[in-house]
Amino acid sequence: MGEIRLQVIDVSKNFGITKALKNVSFNIDKGEIHALIGENGSGKSTLTNSLTGIYKKDSGKFILDGKEINPANQVEANNEGVSIIVQELGTLDGLTVAENIFLGHEDRFVKFGIKNTNAMNKEANDLLKKYGFERIKASDMIENYNFEDRKLVEIVKATYFDPKIVVIDETTTALSREGREELYKQMNRIKESGNSVIFISHDLPEVLKMSDTITVLRDGVFIDTVRSSSIDEEGLKKLMVGREVTGGYYRSDYGEKVSSEVVMSVKNVTVPGLISDVSFDLHKGEILGFGGLSESGMHEVGKACFGASFDREGSVTLSDGTKINDIPTAIKHSIAYTSKDRDNESLVMNQSIRDNICLPSLTALANKLHLLSDRRLKKFANKYAETMSTKMQSVDQFVSNLSGGNKQKVVLARWLGKDSDILLLDSPTRGIDVKVKQDIYQLMDKMRKEGKSIIMISEELMELIGMCDRIIIMKDGKINGELERNKDMDENSLIAKMV
Amino acid sequence: MKASSEKAEKKLGGKLKGYLMLLLMVIVSWGIFKIITPGNFGSAKNMLSYFEASLLAAVGAVGFYFVMVMGMFDFSIGANIMLSAIVGCVFANRFGLGYAGLVIGAILTGALVGFLNGEFYVRLKIPSMIVTTGLALIYESVANYIAGGVEQTLPSGLRAFGQMPGNLILAVLAFGVAFLLLNYTKIGTYTYAIGSNEFVAKNMGINVNRYKKLAFIISGAFLGTMAVLTISYGSSMVAVTGMASMSRNFVPTMGCFFGLAFKKYGMPIPAIIIGEFVINIIFFGFIALGAPTAIQDVITGFALLIIVMLTTKVAKGEIVK
Repeated sequence: MGEIRLQVIDVSKNFGITKALKNVSFNIDKGEIHALIGENGSGKSTLTNSLTGIYKKDSGKFILDGKEINPANQVEANNEGVSIIVQELGTLDGLTVAENIFLGHEDRFVKFGIKNTNAMNKEANDLLKKYGFERIKASDMIENYNFEDRKLVEIVKATYFDPKIVVIDETTTALSREGREELYKQMNRIKESGNSVIFISHDLPEVLKMSDTITVLRDGVFIDTVRSSSIDEEGLKKLMVGREVTGGYYRSDYGEKVSSEVVMSVKNVTVPGLISDVSFDLHKGEILGFGGLSESGMHEVGKACFGASFDREGSVTLSDGTKINDIPTAIKHSIAYTSKDRDNESLVMNQSIRDNICLPSLTALANKLHLLSDRRLKKFANKYAETMSTKMQSVDQFVSNLSGGNKQKVVLARWLGKDSDILLLDSPTRGIDVKVKQDIYQLMDKMRKEGKSIIMISEELMELIGMCDRIIIMKDGKINGELERNKDMDENSLIAKMV
Repeated sequence: MKASSEKAEKKLGGKLKGYLMLLLMVIVSWGIFKIITPGNFGSAKNMLSYFEASLLAAVGAVGFYFVMVMGMFDFSIGANIMLSAIVGCVFANRFGLGYAGLVIGAILTGALVGFLNGEFYVRLKIPSMIVTTGLALIYESVANYIAGGVEQTLPSGLRAFGQMPGNLILAVLAFGVAFLLLNYTKIGTYTYAIGSNEFVAKNMGINVNRYKKLAFIISGAFLGTMAVLTISYGSSMVAVTGMASMSRNFVPTMGCFFGLAFKKYGMPIPAIIIGEFVINIIFFGFIALGAPTAIQDVITGFALLIIVMLTTKVAKGEIVK
């Protein structure tokens, strides 16, 4: 056992009546990558948010190198030697890249109240160069960069000052393969320098590959700390869920013939700058996968089919001849869409779970006088929230208070309630724990068997291989290959067409 | 498909584009009225006087920009200008403090009003629009009480800030301070950070409430400076009540919209200054035309909507509130 860097002692945190953390205690050593895993709502983010000053813990202690720390915000945490890369976007529009990197730490560049912008930009450019992100310029406004590049800026922001502990909270799911490799490189660099990483991820193979030690939480309670070398994926699942995760994870059928009935025909769809001349047919009862690098244009395909792309050319036609050119038409014709950018494009954050689930189904839930019954809405929301095993106090709870994975469950519950015939699922299992992932896969399989058609867009190659009847690979905005479901398909056959 | 860094490089020329758009607006608004009323509008001398008149509101607008960028609003602008002008005039005239009394009295009063706005907004935790509307009524009454219901006139010997070069010197000083605060101090960075995402800003250790109050104080001080220019230009101020001071809100607010629209080009302060100039060209154009006030208001309203719509080219799919 190595030298202890951080002691977590009896940390508890409540949100109203919900006990998010109950007397959690464990240690993190110097120079290790320490994974923190658990189901959605198990308390992982609550714990690290308490460590980094985003939340105030109710009781307990964090002892860093023998000294108790109680940061009130992220800057105080940084000053104590702790930083965090958050799950969602953590950079601010309206500021330059340099201003984002040094936000809260500008005093070094301020003399007599005047900020030396040139010095700040120079130092930020030097840092970006050191990290190998030269293409990002310190003086550019941050909003000129995409989600992935902004995450890279966050990596610089969280690590440039050599913190003793870096928390990486479910960040990898937001990154493409290249972005992940970059993050892994930085994690190893931190470890080699003798500092520690707290790594939160639902991707168990990734956890086993990257971490030295794994702590498991369940329902806010510490379960165990194990060495990564002494456990396998099944063992971790058992610790997380509290029982054996039985049954198949992905689909087990091969060679089943997909119906020849076309339910959606996409012809020559182009979205300037994003996708070009994309054509394909979606069949009844088919799961059609879309894979590729993050910027390949695959995420735009979902939007284009849902009528949510602007300046779209080409056509999206349903079997009855209906043209899908806008979202209301898509919803009216039983099409559902979940976006990769959950918080900004799929959820109404400051509304209740009930409102979020009922939103597209309000017309069906209203009575003859177009009035809505509170009881009926609640019953409807409860039914689908429970189907998705959403961890919540009640459906009246605000969505903004849920963990990332539980937010995703609310999005899926909404479309489940709508009973849509065509589902466009962009990164449906992003931030979802292993048990619910399995539930979602089984749900998709059930829907497929019921004749519903699904487009699954994912950066997780294994789930595409495991779940889809066909996989279309996108590259540079164009279709670069198509693979039929077969037992021998592996990640390499997809990667060959992606890069 | 395209590397995001390429996108960033493409946008580097934005500032020049912004200036060209503003220049075009000046030329178009001037050209339209020059064609309609060639005799009594738009000579070089006229244009200079329109510009002088626009300096007043531009000074207030650059201060108000700090509040608006943070996502707040202030309905007490007019009441602040009126109260600050009256206090400045009383200091200068009744107390015999001359220019020092006028400038310091008005600016400090403006800042005090801003402080009260910020303090009430932060402590009461209710929307800034509601807080400042309520407070505007109080400021109007205080101004009326100080003025004793009598029009306050600035003696002719104290009106240097109402004409060249006094007005220009004061305005340039104010613009310089705003530019410095916005681009070369922490205040500017935090203003944009809070406007972008208050929650994240708070997590970055920024004392959000303190900077919100500071934004109101800065805005108030600039409105106080505007009050100096206003009373010097117009020579007197009447303390109106019953929210009548709100009519003074319009021009600085419109200038501020220019600043917000051109923020993406990295030039909000020049946009406010030139934007106010465009608004004044339109105003004086209508006066030259002899158009009835109602018609003037309707056309001015539409013209401003069109200008802001054309300049605020919202990205496809972007939500506008």
